[in-house]
Amino acid sequence: MSSEPMSDTHILKIESLEAKVATENLDILNGVNLEIGKGEVHAIMGPNGSGKSTLAKILAGHPSYEATAGRVLFKGQNLFELDVDERSRAGIFLAFQYPVEIPGVSIANFLRTALQAHLVDEEELDIFEFTDMLTERMSMLEMDISFAERHVNDGFSGGEKKRNEILQMAVLRPTLAVMDETDSGLDIDALKIVANGVNKLTEEDPEMSILLITHYQRLLNYIKPDFVHVMVDGRLVRSGGPEIALELEKDGYKNWKDSGAVSSGVPKTA
Amino acid sequence: MTDSLFSKGVTEALNFSAVERLCITEPDWLRERREHAWALYEQTPMPTTKLEEWRYTDLRKQLQLDTLSLSQATVVSDDPTAWPKRLRKAMKEDRQASGHIVVIDGHVVHSDLEAELIAKGVILSSLHDAIEQHPSLVENWLATEAVPPEEGKFAALNAALWSDGIFLYVPADVQLNTPIRVTRWLSEAGVAQFGRVLILAENASRISYVDEILSDDFSKQTFASNAVEIIAKERAQVQYVSVQRLGRGAFYQSVQRTLAYRDASLDTLNVALGASVSRVDLNACLLGERANSDMLGLYFGDDDQHFDFNTSQDHISPDTASDLLYKGALDAASRAVFRGIIRVKPTAQRTDAYQTNRNLLLSGNARADSLPNLEIEADDVKCSHGATVGELDPEAKFYLMSRGLSRIQAERLVVLGFLGEVLSKLPLGGVVEKVTRVIEEKLSQH
Ligand SMILES: Nc1ncnc2c1ncn2[C@@H]1O[C@H](COP(=O)(O)OP(=O)(O)OP(=O)(O)O)[C@@H](O)[C@H]1O
Ligand SMILES: [Mg+2]
Repeated sequence: MSSEPMSDTHILKIESLEAKVATENLDILNGVNLEIGKGEVHAIMGPNGSGKSTLAKILAGHPSYEATAGRVLFKGQNLFELDVDERSRAGIFLAFQYPVEIPGVSIANFLRTALQAHLVDEEELDIFEFTDMLTERMSMLEMDISFAERHVNDGFSGGEKKRNEILQMAVLRPTLAVMDETDSGLDIDALKIVANGVNKLTEEDPEMSILLITHYQRLLNYIKPDFVHVMVDGRLVRSGGPEIALELEKDGYKNWKDSGAVSSGVPKTA
Repeated sequence: MTDSLFSKGVTEALNFSAVERLCITEPDWLRERREHAWALYEQTPMPTTKLEEWRYTDLRKQLQLDTLSLSQATVVSDDPTAWPKRLRKAMKEDRQASGHIVVIDGHVVHSDLEAELIAKGVILSSLHDAIEQHPSLVENWLATEAVPPEEGKFAALNAALWSDGIFLYVPADVQLNTPIRVTRWLSEAGVAQFGRVLILAENASRISYVDEILSDDFSKQTFASNAVEIIAKERAQVQYVSVQRLGRGAFYQSVQRTLAYRDASLDTLNVALGASVSRVDLNACLLGERANSDMLGLYFGDDDQHFDFNTSQDHISPDTASDLLYKGALDAASRAVFRGIIRVKPTAQRTDAYQTNRNLLLSGNARADSLPNLEIEADDVKCSHGATVGELDPEAKFYLMSRGLSRIQAERLVVLGFLGEVLSKLPLGGVVEKVTRVIEEKLSQH
């Protein structure tokens, strides 16, 4: 297993990552570089189809994608050596852009199984402690407790699915949370509740790092990013502070959607 | 076995003198019935794959009738310590019950029933005892209205050769709060065993009945035949559950018919987990106005197990309803056949009839054939049928694994969720847990 001394602050290090669709010759990521430090909040914005979700899924280990070059280190360890479930147990959590419906499996049962899987050395999950914790997490996200008996995402509204993603995150308490468009589908009140929930988790664990993917500045008013990156055509073409999000809100991506601009990393008209 | 011998199905063990031996101590009406059934059996050709209803189960290949002998087993004492360990374990898992019956190798060795229910006139006994103590009840209903020998080759064979069975009678207005639990054990390899169930629920009575059959694996093919007759009179509520957990080497064959009179509700759940070959013929007859039947089925196959369900929903009277849901998961090289028909007679206006069969294939070698059918002769009806055969959704697996579940745990959860829909519709205490546990056992070998 390749690992190198972990710098104190870096939790995730993506180096020149290129990736394609596993079953066809379709390149999606064309050299992504990104470092995320402990406790940092990074946001990625970018036009539809630029590769944001692909990056998120590759971090989680989705079998549809194949890394063709570069590497990803998580806590100093080669991420690609870990299977999907091992990555989760190592502390990566992906809040899905499109959460999957699992008919017949209750949220409570699912989360109990997941949390049990996260315990080490055959430690037995205390069912009463679990129920208390789940109740508390649900009330933090202002979810009715009856939700725990509903089947995972089955027949949920778009907003309910997103809130359910954050419930899972709040139960599993990852070291790195990748949130793919968690804000889309949430109404204004729900967005605040979810954002407050995420901020609570950060208070509980200031070392938790977050990679947010979003199209809208609005979410970033509630969850304040330390860095904002712009992804175009499978590359991060610009990185900077929160001011980038405000610029994009105003001007859109027109300055970036040109191959010349992408390779130089500088907006054409800047 | 030559063609003509196979077609007749008469062998060294299964023949007229075997019928005569059974009749020795029985009343005349029963002797006549057995002899009549045997004559029908001989006349009825063995079903072949040329028949639509047997297209996917080739008896010529699957059933070695000529190797079967009749049971030699003697009656085991009514003492649990003398019973097989697995049988006792299966019983222990059952929660509350109003009464029990234990059948070992075709003999009823134990029966009990709450005193209060006995006082109210409920009868739970072996068929033989019922024939002595309540002859007219049994004579009226045994192999007459529900599963007569005319029903087919196997119904005739069973009616001629049944060795013992279960009789359950619930008088009008008597309602049982907990199920009757029947546990059957087979130990003899290479035999043909014939059992029957007769349940008669009078007006406005209520009963649930859970019948579990199990065995170890058999070194030689063993044939377990079952005929189930259930009659729900007006406003009666009946739930029938059958859990089949026979070992490999078993050929399980069950013919079931339910008769629902006016305002009765008569629900069934067939769970098929064991045996090498399992064939269930179920006919739900909605005889009276507003009668209602929910028909549930659940199966999980592995190795080269073969399940064949042949169901029919017969709507005779107006305003009747039936709702069928059969779901199965198939692993390794196992195979399932579901053939279902909804028949609505011209007299059955305003019928609601639904039929759904869903299959989940867990391996590239597994196979499911689903053949839903409608035959509608009334014009004011609501009917639908649907069938699906799908594979485990890789996105669902990825989603669950991304929360830390191992591949096996993820598959287990998806499969149990898929099948759980059936169990959640008939949540009898103990049944859900038991069936879930057995499926988990099978999944852990996946
Ligand atoms: N499995 C796949 N097969 C074929 N093409 C794919 C596959 N997955 C992604 N793509 C393509 O790769 C590109 C990037 O997709 P991705 O989902 O990563 O975009 P995105 O940046 O998340 O977009 P959005 O903002 O709309 O969510 C798109 O053109 C998409 O159609
Ligand atoms: Mg996306």
